[in-house]
Amino acid sequence: MLIELRNVSKSYRRDTIEIPVLDGVTIDVPEGDFLGLMGPSGSGKSTLLNLLAGIDRPSQGSIRIGDTEISRLSDSALASWRSRHIGFIFQLYNLIPVLTAFENVELPLLLTSLSKKQRRDHVMTALGIVALGDRAAHYPRQLSGGQEQRVAIARAIVTDPTLLLADEPTGDLDAKSGADILTLLQRLNQEFKKTIVMVTHDPHAAERARRLLHLEKGTLVEQVPS
Amino acid sequence: MKFVALVLKSARRSKRRTALTVLSVAIAVFLFSALRAVLDGFNGAAAASSATRIMTIRSTSMIFNMPVSHGETIRSMPGVRDVTWANWFGGIYKDPKNFFANIAVDPESYLRMYPEIDVPPDERRAFLEDRTGCIVGDGLARRFGWTVGDRIVLQPGIPYYGRQDYPFTIRGIYRTRGHAVDNQTMFFHWKYVDERSLVKGQVGWYVTLIANPDQAAQMARTIDQKFTNTPYETKTDTEGAFLAQFTAMFGNLNLLLGSIAAAVVITTLFVAGNTMAMSVRERTTEIAVMRTLGFQRRTIFGIVAGEGLLMAVAGGLLGVAIAKVLVNGENINTGGFVPPFGVSGANMAVGVVLSAFIGIAAGVIPATMASRLKIVDALRRVA
Repeated sequence: MLIELRNVSKSYRRDTIEIPVLDGVTIDVPEGDFLGLMGPSGSGKSTLLNLLAGIDRPSQGSIRIGDTEISRLSDSALASWRSRHIGFIFQLYNLIPVLTAFENVELPLLLTSLSKKQRRDHVMTALGIVALGDRAAHYPRQLSGGQEQRVAIARAIVTDPTLLLADEPTGDLDAKSGADILTLLQRLNQEFKKTIVMVTHDPHAAERARRLLHLEKGTLVEQVPS
Repeated sequence: MKFVALVLKSARRSKRRTALTVLSVAIAVFLFSALRAVLDGFNGAAAASSATRIMTIRSTSMIFNMPVSHGETIRSMPGVRDVTWANWFGGIYKDPKNFFANIAVDPESYLRMYPEIDVPPDERRAFLEDRTGCIVGDGLARRFGWTVGDRIVLQPGIPYYGRQDYPFTIRGIYRTRGHAVDNQTMFFHWKYVDERSLVKGQVGWYVTLIANPDQAAQMARTIDQKFTNTPYETKTDTEGAFLAQFTAMFGNLNLLLGSIAAAVVITTLFVAGNTMAMSVRERTTEIAVMRTLGFQRRTIFGIVAGEGLLMAVAGGLLGVAIAKVLVNGENINTGGFVPPFGVSGANMAVGVVLSAFIGIAAGVIPATMASRLKIVDALRRVA
């Protein structure tokens, strides 16, 4: 198994009130899977994704990804681990507006020991995969929403991470652009054998996943083979 | 080095804000360098003062005169090599706004005792031979466009010099060697002034050249003791101490100028800090994204702090460059009250270091804010 979540709970504290978000979630995700996480707003699916990304910590339970029990890592070790193992795709793309497409994709590579030329090769390969090699010098404001998301995907895959996490990747796109993004994710899963966990509201998007999990009020309610 | 481009790009995010921040630091550093240059002028003059020249004024105040006979008494004392004297004339050239120092001196002994006043030999001779002649500093000559041979008229500014105009012929233009003398002063014959003044035989201060600088304090005491219990008691000090007293007439300059500089720098610190904090707040999502990508807290801290440092140092370089060009004793009319000054290399270096300090100090809180950002909260705040 690539991902092993065991009895993971997460709650937030707002003033003196404890708000439970996830309650005893246990999930296994094999390598090469394309898992869709569905559920209504507030069901805890984004929190689950954040826990998998190592940008949040569980209140209880353990999260093992590959050989690493990430819930035990220090903040610094976790950041280092994220840079090597996680590619994150945001709903709102979250590209840095003052950087070109090339520079945005290059950003995670600045944390590696690659030379400038090697970084350039990696970036152009990633931009090639998302079919935006000719837009490398464009700034985010010069790209359409779909193109921005493709740049964000290139940024997510440029380090060849163990796991791709997508949080509503089509949520801000029109149907056509959304479909293109989903096709791209499917290609990354099938052709490049990337393990993907995708949070979505959209049933059409969920159809592209190999497997679907439904969350409701912080608990797993059903496991549906796609 | 990989992150330098990132820092540069970030600084260019809001060009107007960056430019204004750079400008605010530039103005602060400019003011700091300018004030420091003035202080350096005073300190330089004190440092350049002669150890063998001691100065005697009236014990009550330097604005009161002494009889010219004091000079001969001093000259007769053992250990005295030479004596000269001078009077503050306070003349007005056309308009009181054209203020500059104009001093009546005993020309021969004065030039002998002040080798820092460098006059070409022929001009020196012409000055000594002409009772109504004068010499002016090259800075003063430039200020009014004077050349040798020009005739100028001063109106006396002190009542006992009478009401008649004093015409002069410029016989020489001097340059200065060292900081003990400035280049904004006019010197002329004491006798010319004395013969026309209402009160004769009056001297503002004496300068005594002593043989042994180690005995300056003792000589000063001896001179003052000589005139004790006379109507014209004296106060004698070394040239450096005299300059320090003169400076003290302006108040505690170090404290005054230092306080102004500190106020400006601290204000700029807050302005720059606030600007950077605003910039960080606007970039909350970006910083969260970078943290998600695996950027360490310390890297984020370095990028934000580096941006502040970059802007501040750019401002500092601009500030010292402007100060170097504009702040020059020759370009500013100080009326001879402030010794020659300018922005030195050391002053510029201090200005740049100060700007770096502003950058670091202003950047610490925003950089800490950025590095401590909770990724999930930051992403949620925007989404």
